[in-house]
Parts: sequence; structure tokens; C-alpha cells
Amino acid sequence: MIGETLALIARDLKRWYRTPAQIILVFTTPLMWLLLFGQAFNIGRLAQVDGTGMDLRLVFGGAPDYFSFMAVGQTAFIMLFASFFSGVSILWDRKFGFLSKLQVAPIPRSVIPLSRIASSLVKSMLQATVVILLAASFVLIPGLSGLRFSPSFGIVEAAGMALFLALLGIGLAALFVALGLVVRNEETLFGLINLLNFPLMFTSSALIPIALMPDWLRTVALYNPITFVVDGMRQLVFSTDVGAEYSVAVDMLGIGVFSGLMIGLGAVLARRALLRN
Amino acid sequence: MPFRDKFYHGKLAWRANSEGGFVPVEDAVVVVDKLEKVFSGDVRAVDSISFEVGRGEIFGFLGPNGAGKTTTISILTTQTLPTGGRAEVLGHDVVKEPSKVRKGIGLVAQELTVDDELTGRENMELQARLYAVPYSEAKKRIDELLDLVKLVDSADRLVKTYSGGMKKRLELSEGLIHRPQVLFLDEPTLGLDIQTRTSMWEHINKLKKETNMTIFLTTHYLEEADALCDRIGIIDHGRVIALDTPEGLKKTVGGDVIEIEVAECDEDILEVIKGMPGIALLDGTCTGNKARIKVPDSKTSLPKILNSFMSKRIDVASVVIRKPSLDQAFLEFTGRELRDEESNSKPGHKDQSTSRGRFRRRR
Ligand SMILES: Nc1ncnc2c1ncn2[C@@H]1O[C@H](COP(=O)(O)OP(=O)(O)OP(=O)(O)O)[C@@H](O)[C@H]1O
Ligand SMILES: [Mg+2]
Repeated sequence: MIGETLALIARDLKRWYRTPAQIILVFTTPLMWLLLFGQAFNIGRLAQVDGTGMDLRLVFGGAPDYFSFMAVGQTAFIMLFASFFSGVSILWDRKFGFLSKLQVAPIPRSVIPLSRIASSLVKSMLQATVVILLAASFVLIPGLSGLRFSPSFGIVEAAGMALFLALLGIGLAALFVALGLVVRNEETLFGLINLLNFPLMFTSSALIPIALMPDWLRTVALYNPITFVVDGMRQLVFSTDVGAEYSVAVDMLGIGVFSGLMIGLGAVLARRALLRN
Repeated sequence: MPFRDKFYHGKLAWRANSEGGFVPVEDAVVVVDKLEKVFSGDVRAVDSISFEVGRGEIFGFLGPNGAGKTTTISILTTQTLPTGGRAEVLGHDVVKEPSKVRKGIGLVAQELTVDDELTGRENMELQARLYAVPYSEAKKRIDELLDLVKLVDSADRLVKTYSGGMKKRLELSEGLIHRPQVLFLDEPTLGLDIQTRTSMWEHINKLKKETNMTIFLTTHYLEEADALCDRIGIIDHGRVIALDTPEGLKKTVGGDVIEIEVAECDEDILEVIKGMPGIALLDGTCTGNKARIKVPDSKTSLPKILNSFMSKRIDVASVVIRKPSLDQAFLEFTGRELRDEESNSKPGHKDQSTSRGRFRRRR
């Protein structure tokens, strides 16, 4: 079981790093968000112009400025998009006969989705790390805002961040890999992804501070799995619970439950999709 | 074998031998009994077929597009569930014990399944690991197999740079990496040029000789079935309509045709042959100055005929022997030529269903 899983993970990763276009594209999107949206959409200025001297950290979940706020949010999107790709890739594997080859092989059926979730996680964690480092390095470039870590950010906090991202990545990949197995048609899968993409992104506090949301949206956002993740990560990155919605422990519990639910749902869906008919 | 007892009630399945007789199929590794697959929309892809394949045998399914060949393979290789009947591979029920079946079989599918973004060698390595072949052993076998299919020089190139034939050859060697006891080859030479096809046949024959592997293959090339198979099942519209050795099938077609060119062909000449002892004349006609005679075996009949012509002072200008072909056999059994079907091959579902409708009405 381990041998086959590792072999399939290696296969997925080879396909990935041998397609430079894919890698470049994968980094372009978050970079554009960081460079264009993150730099331009500096809503923190409004408060400064207003001159009331309110503590921006209350609005930005502990982040000193909007860029730092949204840079953390970006990592959640990376997990989301990597999961989309994994779902689509397994549909392509069906289309090109690779999946049927796996179905004939004497391997446990669970190896098929598990290896794909694992390779998705390896890719997305790498991407998230690179994007975080890039965002932090902007501090060194004159004229750009960068992600400003708290001076007390250390190895424990980094591990906590990684755990948050991994739980999100596993939950999302479990969902989308299962969808990629269930749905037999690309258009339908893309449609589904689009349908889930926007609500997941924009009802979370990844890009938009919850404090600025209307009440109904705030209620939704408080249960969005991405909110748990970015809320928890911000507390770790900025070493403060100012402006946090939940404690780190509750955030962790929230995303843990989400991830568990998605694994359960994914297992049911994938099982059905891999059954013979 | 308990399964056989249950479903054959002690009766053995019989296999035709090359002498036209029948011998029991011993040590059957594939047992199919009234197997049926009806797809939604009442498409009877496999319509109650029964046959057995003995260990070490090359068994071929010969049939036109849409006959149900791939569907049968897909059931036997545990990818599709039958809607009726039973099938056992290596003593394991394909429905109830799929993982046991999977361990003993190899499949080279009709469609290409190799990964374009990996090299040929990497594809093989992946396959070896999926089938739990130990690393050092895999390394050795991969080199051997790449040599067998003549891909050594391109082994480390990405498969997307391969030609179609190279991919097909890679696919074949992948199916062999774990030395399966039963190998399923779904149209192994589809889309290959004559040269590659012939060398593929050589590989398959060599495999059989060297390893006693059982091979179940499908094809719609008569020459291929003839060149490779110990036994052939002619399948059409999901039914096995004939099952015999290539020789046996040709015999049922009705023997060899001998064309003898004489000065003038008339009834008298046909009478001469009819009256000859030891010749079972099946058919005899005159066309112009040619006598067309159909006999079960031209090898023994022709000398006799020529001798008696000589003694009766009938001058013979030329002699042509036409051996029965599988083409003819197919025509005889299905009521149409395989080639017609092939020329508009790979039709969509619509085309297939109309041709099927036409055929049904004719029946
Ligand atoms: N998944 C499916 N759903 C519905 N009908 C199917 C399905 N798969 C195959 N069929 C139908 O079953 C019949 C047999 O198909 P099959 O693929 O077994 O033919 P084949 O003998 O392999 O033909 P070919 O030589 O073209 O490969 C065809 O009429 C086909 O349209
Ligand atoms: Mg087929």
C-alpha cells in the first residue's frame, strides 16, 4: 500500500515539475493578488485619512496593515486552487485511460484518491511557503508593502501555520479529488469548481476583514473553513489575539472538523465512483 | 474445480484440436458461463456467452466493431460487472474476488494508457511498483522487456515524443512486467504498420513458447487471429457464433477450391471427377474452360484428379488451389464480410446501432 502510494505521488510530482508553464502559472496568480490587489487596495489608508486613530489591528485580525492581512489569506487560496487542479487531473486520468490502468492493478482502491490528495498537499504546501516568503521579502523593496511578521514568530508558530494549511489542504483535496472521480465530464467539474470557488473565497476573512462585512455575511464567514484557517494563522504570524474571531485552539478544532467531514464525504463519493458498474 | 461442478454439472467443456476432433479443456484458467452485459438503453453488449480457455493457450476473439470484445475483457479484468452469468479467472470469481483476479492477470487495453509526461522507463517502473515487483528484479525485467519491444534507445525519452506504434509496444511490455499468468490483449496491433504488427506477433508467439502464459486476445484482423491463436471465437452482436481452431473454422467453410483449366469444360469432365473413388466432391461447376471443384482436402484429391485426367487424355493447362480463408469463414458465420465493417470502422454509437438494426431485421 505504501509502495504504490509513494509511486503514484512521485508520478504526480514528476508531471508537475516537468511542466514549467504550470508552475509559473501557479505562482502568477497569487503574485498578482499580492502585487496588484494587496498593494493597491490599501484600505488601511482610509482609516488614517479619517484620522480617528483607531487601532487597525482590530480590523485586520491583528495584522499591522492590509497587505500583511491579505498575504496570510493568500495561502488559503493556494490550498484551494491546488485542490481544484488535483480534482481536474484525476478526471483527465480517467479520460486518458490511466485511471482504468490503476483500477485493473492489484492495489487497494483507496490508494487512488489518497495518493492524489498527498501529491496535492506536497505541491500546495511548497507553493504556500514560496508565496509567504515572497510576501515577506517585499518589505525589502522600497515602495512596496510587505508581510510584516511579529518579531516573536518562531518555529512553533511556523509549525502551527503549516498544520492549519495542511488540514485545509487535505479537506479541500479530499473533496475535489472525490468530485474529480465522480464527475465524468470536464465542463460539469469546472462548473462545480466555479460554483464553490466564489463562496469559499469571498465569504471568508481571507481578503475582506470580517469587521467590514454586513451582518448576514459575517454570520456565514464565521463558519467558512477558510476563516478558521486564516484567523488562526494571523494570530500566529502577528503574535496577538487582537481582532481575532476565535482562539487558536477553536480555529484548529474548526478546520479539523471540516477536514474530517470532507475526508468522510470524499471517501463515500470516491468509493462509489470507483465501484464497478 | 468447484465452480465448474456447479455450473457444468460434471460436464466438461470441449476444445477443438487441430485434427478437427475435440478434447476436454484441462486446467481451464478462464471459465465463462452464460456471461451477459446489458448496458442502459438495452444495449446487449455481451449476450450469454460461454467458453473456456486452457492454461498456455492463445485464445482469440475475432469480431467487428461493437461486437462486445472489449466489454468481455473489461468484465474478465474486473473493470465492469456483468449483468448475468458467471466468469472465473484463475479459479477466482471476477465479481466476488476481484483483487485475487487482479494479482494474476495483465491487461494491455485497446486505448493507450501510458503516461505521456513520463519517460518509457518511468512508465515501466511505475507499473512494476503497482504490481509490487521487487526493485532489483524490476530493473532487470525492464531492461529485458525494453529490449524485447526494441525501445532501449528511446527508454529515457518522454512518452509524448513516441510514435503511436512505440507507445503500443511500451504498453505491451508494461503488461508483461509482473509476468501475469493470464494476459489480456485488446487489439494488440491496432494502428500498427505491417512491420511492427509482424514483430508484435513474433513477440506474442515467443512469449507463449517461453513462458506458457495464457493469452486472451481480441482482434478484427483475420490474419492476426490466424497467425496467433490456438483457438478462435467468432463474436458478433455479443454472441459467440463459432468457436474452433483456425483450421477447424476454415474446414467448416467447406474445403478447398481447385480450379483446373482445360481445353473445354463440360458436364463430362465433372462426371469423371464425380465417379472417382476416394473423392468427396462438395461442389463442381464449369465456367468457360475452367472447372471449379470444391473438395475437403486438395492435398490428396488433386493428384488423384490429375492422374485420372491424364489416363483419360484430358489436357490440363493450369491448376489453381484456393485454400479457405478466415475471411470466408467469417462471411459464412455472420452473413457479411468483416472488411465491410472495417472500412467504416470506429463509427459512433449511432452508426453501430443502425448497422445492428439492419442485421437484426435481416435475420
Ligand atoms: N459504457 C457503455 N455504455 C453503453 N453501451 C456501451 C458501453 N460500452 C460499450 N457499449 C456498447 O456495447 C457494444 C460492444 O462494445 P465493445 O466495446 O465491447 O465492442 P468491441 O467488440 O470491443 O468493438 P471494437 O472493435 O470497436 O473495439 C457496442 O454496441 C457499444 O456501443
Ligand atoms: Mg474493443
